[in-house]
Amino acid sequence: MGAFALLGWLIGTSVFLPTEHRIELATAADVASRLDAWTRTSSNVPLHTQLAVTPDSGVVEWLSALRHSGHLVTWSGTPPAVAMSVEALPDPHGGARIDLSAPSDTRVEVRDEAGVIDSVSVKRLGARITSPSTVGAVTANAGAQRFGAAVTDASPIRNVVVIGAASWEGKFIASALEERGWPVTVRFSVAPNVDVTQGGASLVLDTSRVSAVIAVDTSIARYAGAIARFVRSGGGLVLAGPASLAPSVSSLAPGSLGNRVRPAVEPKDTISLGATGFYPVSSLRQDGIAIERRADGIAIAARRVGAGRVVQVGYDDSWRWRMAGGAGSVAAHREWWSRVVGSVAYRSAAPELATSDVERSAPLAWMVQQLGSARTGPPSNGPRGPLDRRIFITLIMILLLSEWASRRLRGLR
Amino acid sequence: MKSFLSAEFVFATAQYESGDWDSAPLVPPNIIDTIARYTEIVVAPTGVVVPLSDDRVMRYPFLFLTGHLPVRFNDAERRNVKQFVDRGGLLFVDDHNHDIDGVFHKTATEEIARTVGPLVDLPNDHPLYSAFFKFDGPPTTSHELNGWGDNLVHKNLQAVLHNGRIAVLYSSKDYSSEWGYHPDSKRFQSVDNTRFAVNIVVYALTA
Repeated sequence: MGAFALLGWLIGTSVFLPTEHRIELATAADVASRLDAWTRTSSNVPLHTQLAVTPDSGVVEWLSALRHSGHLVTWSGTPPAVAMSVEALPDPHGGARIDLSAPSDTRVEVRDEAGVIDSVSVKRLGARITSPSTVGAVTANAGAQRFGAAVTDASPIRNVVVIGAASWEGKFIASALEERGWPVTVRFSVAPNVDVTQGGASLVLDTSRVSAVIAVDTSIARYAGAIARFVRSGGGLVLAGPASLAPSVSSLAPGSLGNRVRPAVEPKDTISLGATGFYPVSSLRQDGIAIERRADGIAIAARRVGAGRVVQVGYDDSWRWRMAGGAGSVAAHREWWSRVVGSVAYRSAAPELATSDVERSAPLAWMVQQLGSARTGPPSNGPRGPLDRRIFITLIMILLLSEWASRRLRGLR
Repeated sequence: MKSFLSAEFVFATAQYESGDWDSAPLVPPNIIDTIARYTEIVVAPTGVVVPLSDDRVMRYPFLFLTGHLPVRFNDAERRNVKQFVDRGGLLFVDDHNHDIDGVFHKTATEEIARTVGPLVDLPNDHPLYSAFFKFDGPPTTSHELNGWGDNLVHKNLQAVLHNGRIAVLYSSKDYSSEWGYHPDSKRFQSVDNTRFAVNIVVYALTA
């Protein structure tokens, strides 16, 4: 009699939904205010948020905690997939490079704690902003979606070594970098066994003292062994002009050089970078990438060698741009060479991003990691309790029928 | 192995509107010979003459300027000289008169001060004097000792410095006379008196 009473109660509670069998719904606007109540709600109640934007990381973490405590936590909607990284430029003048990713044609406004830095329209692969300085954390708004990132620490500025025969190109590269604030060591050969040196007579290439080496011409060959070791251990190498024609360093180069391109320059022409010609990178290695292309070929290419980076710059007379260029060409020449050096300069291993950086810099990816993928809508099935109860009832029914059948069939034997 | 070096060094003589800019035509070939003789610097076999008022002066970061007569830059020359120096060129000015308070000296130093900045005495231990050959200061010339009978030896060269670098090098030594001969005549000298020119060019190319 007791078993039948229990069975009746189970059937009753299965057919008639308990009061907890409902779905809690919220939107991005009010989910934060509902979390407190949701925490007190029975774990049988599914929690669902409909999101147009990814909520703050604290909300996502709270939802994740509810999920891990037994709640069914789901979400739906199409928040924009955005991401940002901010890297301090390896440049004595400081500054930061801000890389943005967002759906194509999204307008993104970037700001730091001092105000708006810039706004860009993202195209296909993203957008990049270079800021001469940043104050505090950098944040961005893509519509209503807010995201941000902390600026990674800049690597310390170390020496740049310029090696070559005495020439205007070497002299003005060294001048430009010095004027920009780089500590520069030069080694210019002027006669057999006669070098002009500045910034230190001995040439010790190790990554604790030297950020990068710039080779201006094929006279680099006599240092090829030391330079190869330096690059493989993380140092940077710039092979400018014809430098990579030296067989002993050609194995480090991103590609091989073709014949120098010599465009016609009229006496009255204002000289710009590459206007008087360059060595094109004619065949790029499989692991080399083209950085700058011109009508006559690849002007700049780069590749990784061991832990270091090598950039091949086809320009061999950038000094003409500085001397004979238009207004501002001196500063542009400085900045350009500083950027080239910064692109290969030795950096100690990048620190792993703190969790708080990841959740702010790629909020949607962070939310998917915490809460799972989006659903098309709120869950339609009920709470797990009644389902479990139905299974339980079925088992009891089977057992009762077995018992009944057993008793009925016992007399037939 | 074939060497691929950067663009060659071209010895450029500045042509200015006033005065006699071409008073020392044998100096450029003699210096070019000296550079080729002592160094591996890729040097153009012949020099060029470039008007100071022409933008093409920016294509030659080393300029030689000499003369006997008064120097007065016109506006275009003044503008170009200033830009030339600001962008990193080195202007080497030599008084072909070797006198004190001569007309070239007075006017050229005035023009330099007005256009670029005041000249100061260059210390005799400046890196210029050890850029290639070692000198204790500017080499004396036979002309400054007896040319005008004043028995004056100028102890220092003068210079306008930009960020510690010589932007204008001014000489009252009359190197224009001292170096104004055919290169083949060097064989008659026990010590080549053009060696200091190597220091000037090497300094210009490396500092």
